[in-house]
Amino acid sequence: MTSHTPPHPGCPPALQHPGSTQGHPAPPVPLPGSALGVSGERRYRGEGEIGGLGGVPNPSPPPPKNPHPSPPPPSTEYRVTYGNKPVWLGYRRNHKGAIPPQRTRKACLRKGKPVGNPCPICRDRNLHVDFRNVKLLNQFICPHSGVVFHPTHTGVCMKQHKLLTKAIEQAQDHGLLWLQVPYVPVPRDDFSNQHPAVGKTPPAPVLAPGRPWYPWYEWQPPPAAAVARMRRLYKDYLKEETAPPAAGTPPDNPSTPSVEHRGE
Amino acid sequence: MAALGAWGSAVAPARLSRVARALWAWRARRCLGQDAGAADGGKAAKPSFADEAVQNLLYKMTGLNLQKVFRPVKKELKPPKYKLMTEAQLEEATRKAIEEAKEKLIMPPVLNEREPIDDVLAEDKFLEGTESTKYVFTDLTYSIPHRERFIVVREPNGVLRKATWEERDRMIQIFFPKEGRRVIPPVIFKDEHLVVHHRTYDDIEKHAKYDLLRSTRHFGGMVWYLVNKKKTDGLLIDMIHRDLLDDTTSLITLYHMVHPECQSAKEAKEGKLQGVDLIKVFVKTESQKEGYIQLALQAYEEAMATSTAS
Repeated sequence: MTSHTPPHPGCPPALQHPGSTQGHPAPPVPLPGSALGVSGERRYRGEGEIGGLGGVPNPSPPPPKNPHPSPPPPSTEYRVTYGNKPVWLGYRRNHKGAIPPQRTRKACLRKGKPVGNPCPICRDRNLHVDFRNVKLLNQFICPHSGVVFHPTHTGVCMKQHKLLTKAIEQAQDHGLLWLQVPYVPVPRDDFSNQHPAVGKTPPAPVLAPGRPWYPWYEWQPPPAAAVARMRRLYKDYLKEETAPPAAGTPPDNPSTPSVEHRGE
Repeated sequence: MAALGAWGSAVAPARLSRVARALWAWRARRCLGQDAGAADGGKAAKPSFADEAVQNLLYKMTGLNLQKVFRPVKKELKPPKYKLMTEAQLEEATRKAIEEAKEKLIMPPVLNEREPIDDVLAEDKFLEGTESTKYVFTDLTYSIPHRERFIVVREPNGVLRKATWEERDRMIQIFFPKEGRRVIPPVIFKDEHLVVHHRTYDDIEKHAKYDLLRSTRHFGGMVWYLVNKKKTDGLLIDMIHRDLLDDTTSLITLYHMVHPECQSAKEAKEGKLQGVDLIKVFVKTESQKEGYIQLALQAYEEAMATSTAS
C-alpha cells in the first residue's frame, strides 16, 4: 500500500512505528535492537554501532542467519484492531439495493486518491499482501474446502483480490502454504528410456572428429578433366607458374585483386 | 460405516488385483530399466523393484486400511449422500471399494536417475550466423507416448541436437498441457525428485514415523529404499510393536532376496526357518539395534502368552 494520507474515520488508528508488523516480516527489515519495542527512538545503520559512520569493520563474522525464522507474533496494535478474527470480518460494502453487485469495486485508489469506505486490505497500510506473510493469506482461504474466498464474501477490491490470488499461488509454489496435491494415477509408460527419442543413438559415421559433415565443407580437388579443360581454354593467358599445385592441396588464396576490383 | 470400518482394517489381501498384476506383468515385459541387461542375468543376481515377488511382498506389507485410503480430502464441499443398503449390497459396495483401493495403492516405480541426453544429430556449419536464436522442433503426433516423442534443437551455430530432459518437459507441457503442471517448474522442485524422496525416507526413519506411509502407495518405495540401505531395524521394531508378524517375515524375506550373500540369508536357506525363528536369526546376525528388537520380541511373546492363557 502506498497511501500516505492521514487516516480517515473508517480506518484503524495510525501507528507510531511504521515498521511494526502484523504477524509478517515488514519489507524494510529493521536492525536488531532497533525501534521495535525496545526504545522509542530509531537508530540508523552505522550510527553508534561501531563508533560512527565508516568505522572499523567487524572483527568476528556475523552468526549464520536462520533460513526459516519464525514470524514475529502479531503486534499489540494488530491485536487491538482485529483480535483473533480475520481482517475482513465486519467489513460492510456500500451499494444500492439489497443484492450486492457480484463484483466488488475495481480498486480503492483511483488516481492516487482513496475512495470512501476502502476494502479491508486497502484501509490498513500495514497489511502487506506478500507470498511470505502466510498468516494474512490464510485468512482469505476457506479452512474447510481450501478454496480462496470470493471478493464479495470478504469485501476486498478486485485489484487486491488479484494480488491475493497471485500471492497465494506463489506461496504454494514455494511450499509455504498448504496445497491439496491432486491424485495422479501411476502412468503406464515404458520407463526404460530405450527409445531413440530419449536414449542414446550412435552418432552418424560422418560425425567422427576430423571429418566434415558435408564433403564439400572441405576443399575437394576438381576432376582432372575439368582442370585440363580450363587450362586449354585459357592457355594464352596462363602464367607459367613454378609448378602446378600438388594434387590434394587447395591453391593459395591471397586476397585476389579481382575481388577488390569487383568491390569498387 | 462402523461395520465397514471394522471389516476394512482387518482385511489383508494376499493378492494384487487383476488389473495391478496385469500392469506389472506388462511393465516387467517391457523391462523398466532397473538393471535391465545386467551382466549376471537378471533375477538370479539382483531383484529389481518391478519383479512380481518383490511387488507381492511390498504389497502385503503396505496393508489396506480403507479408512486411510479413502480419508476425507479438502475440496469443494457438497452435502453428504446417504444410502440405505441391504447386507448383500453393503458387501458388494465394500468389495468395489477394495478394488478401487487396490488401484490407488499401485506403487509408483522406483527408477534410476535419468541420464542426461546429449546426442548430436548433425552439424551444419553453413547455417552459422544465419539465425540469432535456437529453434526447437517438436513432433506433435497425438497418439505417441511422450517418451517416444522426438524433440530436437537447432542451435545458432548450426548444430542439430536432441533436446535435454528439461527442455523436453517444457515443450511437452506447452503443447500438451496438463492440469496442475507448469511450463517452468516451481522453486520447490529445484532438487532432483529422487533426492527429495530419499531425504523424506531418511527423515521418516529417523523419527520412526513409518505409520504415516502405511496404506499409501509410497510405503513400498520406502521399504525398498531402506532394505537397499540396510536400515531396516526401526521398521522391524515398529512392526513388532504393532503385532504385524507376517509383515516382519515378509520384510526379512525381501532382505534376503536383495542381499543373498548375507549371513542370515544363508542360515535361513539352510534351516528353512519360519516366523519367529527367522526374526531371531536375522536379529542376531544383521541388525544394529539388537537389544531393542529383542526387547520388543520378548514383549510380544509375553503378550501372546498372556492372551492365550487368559
